Amino acid sequence: MNKPKVSFFDFACCEGCQLQIANMGELLLDVLGAIDVVEFREVMSEKWVGEFDVVFVEGSITTPQAIEHIKRLRARTKTLVAYGSCAAIGGVNGMKNNYKLEDIRKSVYGKDANFFPTVETKAIHQVVKVDYVIPGCPVYLPEVVAVLKAFLAGLPRPVPDNAVCVECKLNENICLYERGVACLGPITRAGCNSWCINHGNICYGCRGLVSNPNTKGAKDILEKYSLSVDLIANKMNMYNKCGENDNRE
Amino acid sequence: MQYNLLNKNQLNDLISFLAREQKVVAPVAQGLNNYAFTEIKNGIQATLNYIPTTLPPKKYFMPQRETLATYDTTQGQNMDPVVEHEKVALFGVHTCDLAGIQCLNMVFSEKPKDQNYLARKNAITIIGYECNAYCDRFASCRLVHNHTPNGGYDLFMTNLGDKFILHVNTPAGEKIIERSHLFSLAAKADLAALERLRQKKREIFEKNEIPIEHEKIPELFDKSYQSKVWADLDKRCVACGNCTNVCPSCYCFDVIDEPNLDLTTGRRYRQWDSCQNETFAKVAGGENFRKERGARQRHRYYRKFRFPIEKFSRFFCTGCGRCSRACMAKIDLKETLVSLIKEQGMENPNAGRQSTIAEKPATF
Repeated sequence: MNKPKVSFFDFACCEGCQLQIANMGELLLDVLGAIDVVEFREVMSEKWVGEFDVVFVEGSITTPQAIEHIKRLRARTKTLVAYGSCAAIGGVNGMKNNYKLEDIRKSVYGKDANFFPTVETKAIHQVVKVDYVIPGCPVYLPEVVAVLKAFLAGLPRPVPDNAVCVECKLNENICLYERGVACLGPITRAGCNSWCINHGNICYGCRGLVSNPNTKGAKDILEKYSLSVDLIANKMNMYNKCGENDNRE
Repeated sequence: MQYNLLNKNQLNDLISFLAREQKVVAPVAQGLNNYAFTEIKNGIQATLNYIPTTLPPKKYFMPQRETLATYDTTQGQNMDPVVEHEKVALFGVHTCDLAGIQCLNMVFSEKPKDQNYLARKNAITIIGYECNAYCDRFASCRLVHNHTPNGGYDLFMTNLGDKFILHVNTPAGEKIIERSHLFSLAAKADLAALERLRQKKREIFEKNEIPIEHEKIPELFDKSYQSKVWADLDKRCVACGNCTNVCPSCYCFDVIDEPNLDLTTGRRYRQWDSCQNETFAKVAGGENFRKERGARQRHRYYRKFRFPIEKFSRFFCTGCGRCSRACMAKIDLKETLVSLIKEQGMENPNAGRQSTIAEKPATF
């Protein structure tokens, strides 16, 4: 069997999710035994001119050029993976959408703003069709491998649709609300094995909201714990602003 | 079977004795009034004065994730069952959790028997520990008659103040007594002290925490399927799944095949699942049989108080209160029951007083 030709590309992002691949350690050898990486700017110089079997896309779409680029990539690949929070749900780049486009452009580029056309931030699936989604800031490597296996086996692999609390409870962590800290675990999609909370951090909602979140209920929870509703609204905004694009469509 | 005594200063010796032959797990304080069953090496690490642990001891009977089989499709479809188990002594299990284990034993002993569960169960020694008073306001063990021991242990310890008295319930328990050389036979005065303690408990656990007779609960649920209470829970519940994951008698799991990167070999494992999760009742085509969170909560309550009466002739609520403690939305089991009772006009403030159910006397 020919190994699938795999490439990595990025748009607006920190490229940290791609770095996770390089950080994979010994498991990387097994992964490289199953795929043929033909283009990956962060780790190799070679370019690929033909078709791809899989393209992993990190980053969100924020410029007109990026829209054209992602469309060209889509046309060149059989399978497209939205890789990391920026690609999967818009991620932190979505905070741009809190401002008027002209204002934000001037604030960043000043008098040269006219040289930098811009569009509101979009997750990849809001521009082109996406086949697999791996959210996370950064991606959780066991999930990357799970998606890769699903692709190799020709199976779908939806992002889990239960709350981070589920995995957190299985890990028997002390609930952060008992520490008086607001955590987005109750309304954020699981699949990260409550990675952050296991290490003493809160859940920032980087994997996107569950498909059917009880946001009113979540706000009631904050009130019960005497936490500000603005606090959680801000936290949700940090990664999930682009979700509004989905609701609009 | 008999009663034995253990000096308080020999508790550590008992743990050390048990630890020589098996893994010993006991409640260990995690901070912020959270406790977890954790492996210990000596008695100092354990906390006997604890509120129910975050996860019940079911995690030793059916771990959160457990491999069931490995497979290899290089030549045909070869599948080998995997039954993992190790010798474990569960130390300091409260009566609510003993009841939870009894529930699971019934479920997993039904045909087809669950070999993975039973292999683990057979390798586990249980040393119970009596609560002499309420742990906190969430408990409702009196309602379901779990405030006193009803079996389900090898040894059962009661704190008599200056010493522990242990009820020996199985040959495995007897072996520990014999081989450890730490125990002495209880005298009549000790049994009288135990009886006094149980009498005092009858005063503390004087009546049901919830104003309804034990026997009336199935009827309450028969009348409550269309109750407004479920609509209220629908608004509050965020479907985080905490209530079921921490429940000592919830046992639902999902089975997942996980291939290796070669795609020809792999493993099949099960993982705790929850009727509160969005995808639990979702089927091919996208239909969801319990899309409403209120319907999922209702299902959970019926799985504790109504359905198991038909199937196993017992409540599957053990009264431990974990679901109420762990609920993000502060949905409280006791409050839910009280609301249902009021709605149906079935309130009985003296319910449980001078119960007709005979309490097991601590005599000989």
